[in-house]
Amino acid sequence: MDGLRRHKSMFLLPGLLTLFLIIIFPLLFTIRVSLSGWNVSNPRMDFIGGANYAAMLHDSRFWASITRLILLAGGTVLIQYVIGFGMALLVWREARGRRFWRVLFLVPMMTTPVVMAAIWQTIFHESLGPANDLLGMLGLTKIPWLTESGPALVALMTVEVWQWTPFMFLLLLAGLLSLPKEPFMAAAIDGASTWRTFWKVTFPLMAPVSVAAIIIRLIEASKLSDSVYVLTSGGPGSSTETPGYYLYIQGLRDQQTGYGGAMSLTYLVLMIVTLTVVAALLTRAFKLKGDS
Amino acid sequence: MRSRLYPVFKYTVIALWACFVAGPFFWAMTTSFKNANAVQGGPTYIPWVQYKPTLTGWRNIFGGAGGIDVIDPFINSAIVTIAASAISLALGSLAAYALSRYRFKLGFIKNSDIVFFFVSQRIMPPVVLVIPFFYLLQWGGLLDSIPGLVIVTVALLLPIAVWVMVDFFNGIPREIDEMAMLDGCPPFQTFVRAILPNSLPGLTVAAMFCAVFGWNDFFFAFRLTFTEVQTLPQAVVALNSSIPPWWTLSAAALFGVAPLILLALWVERLLSKGNLSGAVR
Amino acid sequence: MNLSVTDLCLTVDGVDHLKNVTATFRPGRLHTVIGRTMAGKTTLLRALAGLQKVDSGSLTRAGADFLKTPVWRRDTAMVYQQFINYPHLNVFGNVAFPLKRAGLSRDEIQRRVRQSLASVGLADFEKRKPSQLSGGQQQRVAMARALARGTGILLLDEPLANLDYKLREQLRDEFKALFSDQGDTIVIYTTTEPAEAMMLGDVVLVMHEGRILQTGTPQEVFERPATTTVASIINDPPMNIFAGRLEGGQVTVAGFQATHVSAHLADQPDGAYQFGLRATDVSLASSGVEGEVTFVEISGSETFVHVVVGETPFVVQIEGIHDVALGDLVKLRLRPDRLFAFDEQGTLVRTPSYALASVEGC
Repeated sequence: MDGLRRHKSMFLLPGLLTLFLIIIFPLLFTIRVSLSGWNVSNPRMDFIGGANYAAMLHDSRFWASITRLILLAGGTVLIQYVIGFGMALLVWREARGRRFWRVLFLVPMMTTPVVMAAIWQTIFHESLGPANDLLGMLGLTKIPWLTESGPALVALMTVEVWQWTPFMFLLLLAGLLSLPKEPFMAAAIDGASTWRTFWKVTFPLMAPVSVAAIIIRLIEASKLSDSVYVLTSGGPGSSTETPGYYLYIQGLRDQQTGYGGAMSLTYLVLMIVTLTVVAALLTRAFKLKGDS
Repeated sequence: MRSRLYPVFKYTVIALWACFVAGPFFWAMTTSFKNANAVQGGPTYIPWVQYKPTLTGWRNIFGGAGGIDVIDPFINSAIVTIAASAISLALGSLAAYALSRYRFKLGFIKNSDIVFFFVSQRIMPPVVLVIPFFYLLQWGGLLDSIPGLVIVTVALLLPIAVWVMVDFFNGIPREIDEMAMLDGCPPFQTFVRAILPNSLPGLTVAAMFCAVFGWNDFFFAFRLTFTEVQTLPQAVVALNSSIPPWWTLSAAALFGVAPLILLALWVERLLSKGNLSGAVR
Repeated sequence: MNLSVTDLCLTVDGVDHLKNVTATFRPGRLHTVIGRTMAGKTTLLRALAGLQKVDSGSLTRAGADFLKTPVWRRDTAMVYQQFINYPHLNVFGNVAFPLKRAGLSRDEIQRRVRQSLASVGLADFEKRKPSQLSGGQQQRVAMARALARGTGILLLDEPLANLDYKLREQLRDEFKALFSDQGDTIVIYTTTEPAEAMMLGDVVLVMHEGRILQTGTPQEVFERPATTTVASIINDPPMNIFAGRLEGGQVTVAGFQATHVSAHLADQPDGAYQFGLRATDVSLASSGVEGEVTFVEISGSETFVHVVVGETPFVVQIEGIHDVALGDLVKLRLRPDRLFAFDEQGTLVRTPSYALASVEGC
């Protein structure tokens, strides 16, 4: 369309520029500060080269948190996907009760994660909380939820699954409802069993939605830190620390600004690379399945 | 091969999940009416039967002794969320319209790259931005203030607004734009008079996402505001870090998520009335 | 205030959408552009409206460079093939939209909208929304909106193509009446149907593969098609074009003697030609060139018989419904006094004598 150059920019620039400014200056600042020795006793922007990065390579706590995050994020997203898909499959053919499901699943997803995490902390209290009470009622032994690292991780994952499975459910349900009917009719005519129908028809057709849902959830899950702060404070010890949380400790609470900056950037770059690779792999893997 | 047990299986699973979902809410609800006696000896669930309910918790959150005042934080949260959402929606819709209708080419950067730039901001962990934001806001005298928090929240919400609206605008036929232009509308008027009125479903969905993500932000509020301004999530969590009475905490938590639950119910109503068709992929 | 197009060219991915398009559109005339699908008709309209950029050429209106004028100032209204209305406005609002943009007074807007709606037969539909209307009604709303403005240029891109047959006929008649008194408006109407083009147009432009092949009154284009392509396009079913020879007073087709040479071809030199004969001028007879029936189409009250003579295809249009079987061997009688003669490149050499004597195009 002619004569529209001015208008193009007028539309795009306000938003683009705003975001650019809000993001780019902090990013540049972080890059610069990561090359300085700014900390609590030396609040100055000096220059120490790559010393922070060198120190970071030996920081086992940092790398432990990265590994932990990969497991936590991957694990919770997988669980959310399986449960969410499972429940969506149970429900999608029902015409009645639709509103009930929607409300049921919409509510947890929209509540404030930190606030609910505070509630969960009371639930997981070893002696005074309903979690162990329930286990007791079922005849199982009580679990030291927040005082031992294994159970603490489970508690953390439970909170995440509770909060975000609804997201998966809603997205996958919408996807299921928009599938064409023909392949299913064909499968029924061919006498395919439920299991076969799922693997050969439903799952491949849902590939695009599945991939999108998983990627979105992975992106959000990779930032995990608020729930950790409230539920376990990274503990016991540092066994439930995620990079987001550890960075908060180092960079903010202990004011190791320079060092925190170096770790932040590394964390960011690692996440970008990992998520891009995972996204590419997922897309390819699902595309292959969809060709059957 | 559906056995007769299938419905039983199905409804059991659903019932279990429903209990899992509702559990924390009920627990919080019950606990908010307790006092020390009801908590000390172990978890109790049913009021009047297992413990004596009191209103202490609820009184505390409205400025009672040993508690906090939730009204102020609530108002702050509301102002920040509404302001940041409005700004993000406005700027985001404009940008999304441009990305949907016009072809950009700066060197090798195309439309899809620009959209990717916007959307990929969601990958940015807040912790990476928080320290610079701290110094920036301090330099601008905006630390511990509502405007400062609003600016920072826009960084969170703008990508979401753009993501939703680009998709939505792509679904509106270009012919409508052309028709409006032929009818005498320059591009901005075309946007305002012909496209926006048709965009209500998309705007609603975008507004919802913005409202939820904006209200639920804890990290930025936590690190960038202190005494003057507190948002609701902040206030609730602050209760948690001291040794709070569980009843105050529960009452505060319920109060904190109540607006969102109401929003969820309203959204569900919109969905069932089909008002949001075309916006939800 | 003519709209002059000179050498408009547009090539996309190696395909010519517009090639040296030159034409003059005059106020008060209804110009129809006839061409097959993908001939470039829509591209041309969009270029005139400013919705499509062109590679080269000029477009002027009353002397001013139209190409530089932005879309919203081109004083142009357009009706699309797919019924486009503003979904969020009711019928009244739809028709009033451009008038509001133009800043007319409320009373004036009311008057014009009511008048416009009445002229398309939708007087009682003001409050309805487009989604509540049928296809034909939606298209009428679009037309009402285009008319109410009273723009200097009115473009219609196959507006009746998406409507069913009966509705199309009805609207076509209404249309003719509607646009006959549009005063100084330049009306340009595209279609793929020759009958429609000739019935509606004061001026017909034949377009093919991005080029304007011929411009003229309906009669001129019909009686004196400039090339075999035009002849093919402007007839439905397409004119039978076949290679043949004039030899010793006979017209031969595929080696067979087809018919004797009629008076109007008498002074043409012997040699190879391309001949043209309308489907109605060929008939099944007891003697003539022999061919085999390859296809029979019954449509309405006519039968179209597709015959192959040697390797040359013919289409014969016969009134009434006839029982002709596939594979039948039939004899074709070609009316000698209806033969068009084109040279080997396809340019018109001779028209049958009933056609107009040569007349200069507009």
